[in-house]
Amino acid sequence: MRFWAKLFLISVLVVLGVCLVHDVFGVSYQEAAGQVADADQALRNAFTSVVDAEQQGANVSLLLSRLGMAGGNLTWAEVALAAGNYSDAVSFAGVCRSVALSVDSDAAVLGNNAAVVAGNWWMMVVFSVVSSVVFVVVLFFVWHRFRRGYLKRLMGSRPEVTG
Amino acid sequence: MWSLNDWKVVFVAVGLIGVLGFSLFSVVLFAQGFPGEVFSELYALGPGHMAEGYPFNVSNGVVYMVYLGVGNHMGGSTYYEVDVKFRNSTEPLSNATSGEASPLPIVYKYRVFLGDGNVWEAPLSFSLLDVGFDRNVSSVGRLDINGVVVDVEKVSSWDNETQGYYYQIFVELWRYNMTSSSLRFDSRFIGLWLNVTQSF
Repeated sequence: MRFWAKLFLISVLVVLGVCLVHDVFGVSYQEAAGQVADADQALRNAFTSVVDAEQQGANVSLLLSRLGMAGGNLTWAEVALAAGNYSDAVSFAGVCRSVALSVDSDAAVLGNNAAVVAGNWWMMVVFSVVSSVVFVVVLFFVWHRFRRGYLKRLMGSRPEVTG
Repeated sequence: MWSLNDWKVVFVAVGLIGVLGFSLFSVVLFAQGFPGEVFSELYALGPGHMAEGYPFNVSNGVVYMVYLGVGNHMGGSTYYEVDVKFRNSTEPLSNATSGEASPLPIVYKYRVFLGDGNVWEAPLSFSLLDVGFDRNVSSVGRLDINGVVVDVEKVSSWDNETQGYYYQIFVELWRYNMTSSSLRFDSRFIGLWLNVTQSF
């Protein structure tokens, strides 16, 4: 009985070992290369979103530094892939992809907020131009009223001889 | 008492000041909107962060360092790739005039994301490994760049004219094109000539 228990325990350990070994060394070149290509595409998409947000007026300096970090991980993934270290390649590509995706979504939010601010910006420009025109028209009107009153006063005044 | 002409001057002055005051906001905003000349810059500095002291006479296993820099003046955020390549004196170099990058493989790559007006700088340390000499031919087996070892297997013959075995580390600047969704050679590259010596 004791022998069978030992045998069972050893069998379980062997099966577990095989599973773990597969997890560690089971990444193929194709799988790793695919993950690296996905990460590269995610990085490009994230950059496009950042540029869109910037064009809407958002400050994207923090997003750019996060993209730099993602880009560094992608470089390490490519180095690991070239060196035949596929599990590291997948790991670095995963970090790159995850950072790129978060930058992508943050850029969308930042861009929407900036679009609202940009709307206010245009309101300010329109207000500025309209108020300049109104000011000139009103001043012109006041000047005409003032001129008429001034001339009227000048004509109505009679010369007086004193002394 | 002021004359009508005096009052006219006062009204014109008030009018000008008022118009300037109201439109200042718009003028400033529009003035900011006109970009100047757009370009990117790529440069290399020596180990002392100056444009001097670049490594030239190099030998096996010794680590050398330069600084690489990229400047963005494109009027907006830009995605650059800085590709490091290695060649002997007969292999093709990039062509800035035709805009063609060198077909040689990349030995190291930097990915740089820069805002407009910003500059990026990073060290490039390198070491030539498995350097060999046989009569009038030298060879470099591997290259260690920033800790990454790459097989290069380059051979260079003795140059009688300049008295040396010459190799070149050169750096190309690539820029991401949003329209084609691809990186394109920006027609900018810099090279660093290396004379491999047996002892230094």
